[in-house]
Amino acid sequence: MAESLPLLKGTLDVLVLKALAWTPMHGFEIVSWLEERSRGSLDVDDGALYYALHRLEERGFISSEWRLTDNNRRARYYKLRPQGRTHLKAEGANIERYARALTAILAAPSS
Amino acid sequence: MSRSRRLFSLGLSRRTRARAEMLEELAFHVDARVAELIARGMNPDDARAEALRRMGGNIDDTSKQLGDSAELKERRLDVRDRWHDFIDDVRYAVRGLRRSPGFTAVAVLTLAIGIGANTALFSAVDALLLRSLPFREPHRLMDVVQTIDNGGTAEWSYPKYAFFRDAQKSYEAVAAHNARQITLTGDNPERVFVEDVTANYLRALDLGVTTGHDFALEIETGGGAPRHAIISDALWTGRFGADPDIVGKTLHVENEPWEIIGVLPRGFRGLSGRAAALLNLSAQPAALLSQPWNFQYSMIARLKRGVGPEQAASEARGLGQRIFEAFPPERGTLTTSKAPEKWSADARALNSIRVAPGLRKSLLVLFGAVGLVLLIACVNLANLLIARGVSRKREIALRLAIGAGRGRLVRLLVTESLVLAGLGGVASLAIAFAGARALSAINPQETLQAQGLGSALGIVGFEGIRLSGTALAFAFAITLVVGLLFGLVPALRATHSELSGELKEGGSGAGSSRRVGAGRRALVVAEIAFALVLLAGSGLMIRSLGNLLRVDPGFDGSNVLTLRLSVPNGVVQPDSMQGFLDQLQSTIAGLPGVERAALADCPPLSNACAGTIMTFADRPLSATGNAMIGVHWVSPNWFSAMRIPLKRGRMFTEADRFGSPRVVLINEEAARRYFSGEDPIGKRVAVYTGGFDAGAQVIGIVGDVRFGTIDSTALPDTYLSYGQARSPRMMLFMRTARDPMGLADEVRATVRRVAPQIPVFDIRSMGDRMATATAQARFSATLLALFAVVALSLAVIGIYGVVSFGVAQRTREIGIRMALGADGVGITGLVVREGALLAVIGVVIGLGAALASTRVLRTMLFEVTTTDPVTYGGIVVVLVASVLLANWLPARRAARVDPVIALRRG
Repeated sequence: MAESLPLLKGTLDVLVLKALAWTPMHGFEIVSWLEERSRGSLDVDDGALYYALHRLEERGFISSEWRLTDNNRRARYYKLRPQGRTHLKAEGANIERYARALTAILAAPSS
Repeated sequence: MSRSRRLFSLGLSRRTRARAEMLEELAFHVDARVAELIARGMNPDDARAEALRRMGGNIDDTSKQLGDSAELKERRLDVRDRWHDFIDDVRYAVRGLRRSPGFTAVAVLTLAIGIGANTALFSAVDALLLRSLPFREPHRLMDVVQTIDNGGTAEWSYPKYAFFRDAQKSYEAVAAHNARQITLTGDNPERVFVEDVTANYLRALDLGVTTGHDFALEIETGGGAPRHAIISDALWTGRFGADPDIVGKTLHVENEPWEIIGVLPRGFRGLSGRAAALLNLSAQPAALLSQPWNFQYSMIARLKRGVGPEQAASEARGLGQRIFEAFPPERGTLTTSKAPEKWSADARALNSIRVAPGLRKSLLVLFGAVGLVLLIACVNLANLLIARGVSRKREIALRLAIGAGRGRLVRLLVTESLVLAGLGGVASLAIAFAGARALSAINPQETLQAQGLGSALGIVGFEGIRLSGTALAFAFAITLVVGLLFGLVPALRATHSELSGELKEGGSGAGSSRRVGAGRRALVVAEIAFALVLLAGSGLMIRSLGNLLRVDPGFDGSNVLTLRLSVPNGVVQPDSMQGFLDQLQSTIAGLPGVERAALADCPPLSNACAGTIMTFADRPLSATGNAMIGVHWVSPNWFSAMRIPLKRGRMFTEADRFGSPRVVLINEEAARRYFSGEDPIGKRVAVYTGGFDAGAQVIGIVGDVRFGTIDSTALPDTYLSYGQARSPRMMLFMRTARDPMGLADEVRATVRRVAPQIPVFDIRSMGDRMATATAQARFSATLLALFAVVALSLAVIGIYGVVSFGVAQRTREIGIRMALGADGVGITGLVVREGALLAVIGVVIGLGAALASTRVLRTMLFEVTTTDPVTYGGIVVVLVASVLLANWLPARRAARVDPVIALRRG
């Protein structure tokens, strides 16, 4: 496994929103989704995820409810709220712009 | 969604639950991770270790921290939810209120009047009774007085002050002070107040100067010290144009130069509240200061730390005894007593004398009255809200039925009353502001003096009344209390769970509406009773005022112009004084429109005239006791100018001059009290002032004039002629042929022409001075009457509302009665009879309450008893008539009900 990258500050929240934009998930599903999407190159600390979830819930971007999993276990599922979707759009675009700018600078031939 | 989730939150508290759920979530996550790792081929032990590592290593720490985080989140969400609920409730309330603008307008206006009037009066109570004195540690400041065993108090003479100061052990500093009016001479003569003070005065108050320096303690020599003055900031910026080099300049007081050594802090004008400058009293001649019987200084003292007021007072009483023994009474002062008076001393907190007791009382009475107005306003509000509750009961029952909690509904309804109260509170600020402004504009010093309330501390005055932070906090507090209290009861009532009944009865349910009706009728009775108490109070005050205005003061004050003159030292030589006065009088009397011009030292009804002791040549000193007598200096024609009758003997004439035998006039009261059974004419008496202690002959008796307060009968008075006695105080009284104030400018100009260096001030008609004498009574009566009218109007509006609502609810019943043959008159009678019953109950309760509560007015009333039957009869008629009117209007509407429509609608 290639060495995974630490997450830049603030990006985790947007990534979690992105994950939930697909479908409501519980915490472990979110982590798995992110790992899978980044093909293991992002290192999401499992504990940090829950702080991010608390933050997002507090800001009214997501809501949560207890449901049964396919294996009949109780799990807390998180769901994107309309405010969260709006935030994802705005912040996602920001991060993309930022990434493009960085890439443009770093990819330029050095003299 | 957070709010729907909360609906199922049963059992555990929200925060505890959040922590438990977090742990469950954590366990689930770890299990899921372990399962995933095992599926990828890891052995179970390694998988578990890896899962925990990914969670942050130490699982205990992680669970605790995540638990904390979950709790914090939950707490914040909780606050936010409540806030959102509140905002929703407010929105709902505002929507509801906008749907019924009439109801809203009446409720808001009612509350605005109630809260506004209360806040305005509170600002007066705050400024005059509550706000702490503007000194550092004001609780350490004491007022020390001489006490007389008859219950009176007296100021100090300098020697007695010095004795006390040197003997006491309770105080850091003991200072003496006395305010008096002087003329600032020079280019621009000005009448101002100054305070003569000891050098440690500012130190006792713990104040400094802003420019220059304080009096040096060494100048406290007891006489003959250099003349030093500390001027007020106002005088500095005014008369001296804020001269930066003010220190060392000269202040001319009565043509004497005083060296200015400093400037007082802005706003501080001595304890009198009006001093333009402080003068060191040791600058006066030692001969004057050393007189032990010259009582004119008040004493202010700052307690040492750790010494309590009680301890200081008991020390003062002990010292008073020693002072009494150290200064044995002399002839002409106290030896005339049959049983010699015992003098002592006492100390009391400066704060306790901040306003005269009479003023404190009027304020508290007015505050109580305005509180009743608010109570009536609140009863109205409660009534309106109950009515709304009744008309919305189907809506409320429906909400209860679909599962809304009662608490939630009560909160909703209380929010509505809070919004109403809040609107009323905001609107009330305009009324409060205007009220506080009007109160602060009352010119108190002279007014209070003329009412016999002058012993107050000058720095605590009406001009300090403003809408302060405290007053605003008060307004906010009562708004909140009103909103909560008077919203809660109707809300509880409206949501009282008889929901099945309400729904079944289909809207006009008889069961609970009867109960609600009883509650509302009780409120109506309360309103009538409250209004009656206020009407009784104001009625008594108005009767009392009427009696005051009818008082015959003993002179004819219409068409009399008065002004004060001050002749500064050295302007007129003593020898030429008489000629000067004669010339002044004849010049003024020569003006067209002036019929007579006369002089006296002190105006009637001012309560500020001089007094002394009279002794009688043909009686032993011990026979008469202290024959106190008011002393007045007059020109011979003053009596004819003021139309005061001569009862016996003769008047002063121009022949009664210096050098001729000394003569005095006395008033009828003096003749009655001191010459009972004898003829005073020709008797020899001694008056201990103006050189008349050597003896004079009584030549005549004149009618009684009220020189004190208007509500106190004339005291024994004696008159001396300016021809034979000097007084520095002088007033011109002019009997005019037309409106006296129309002549004011001409008279002023004439005095200036005759005597340019003599300041003329305080030009007022005698009618105006008489109005001052009744100002306090008019003030209290006007405000009380205003409150009573407001209360009556509110009560009538409230009753009208209740009755019309009742009629609207009973439309169906009325329709049936009419269908069965009742006529309009019968229906009107039915409604009015019910109202009349409420009125009778309210009046009976109100009369009881009024008789009990108006007793506090006793000392404020003049020749009216607190049970005056005329007043009570009058107000009962007014009240009952108003209540019946409030009943009759809806009753008439009821009588016009068309039975067919009424029945079909029901």
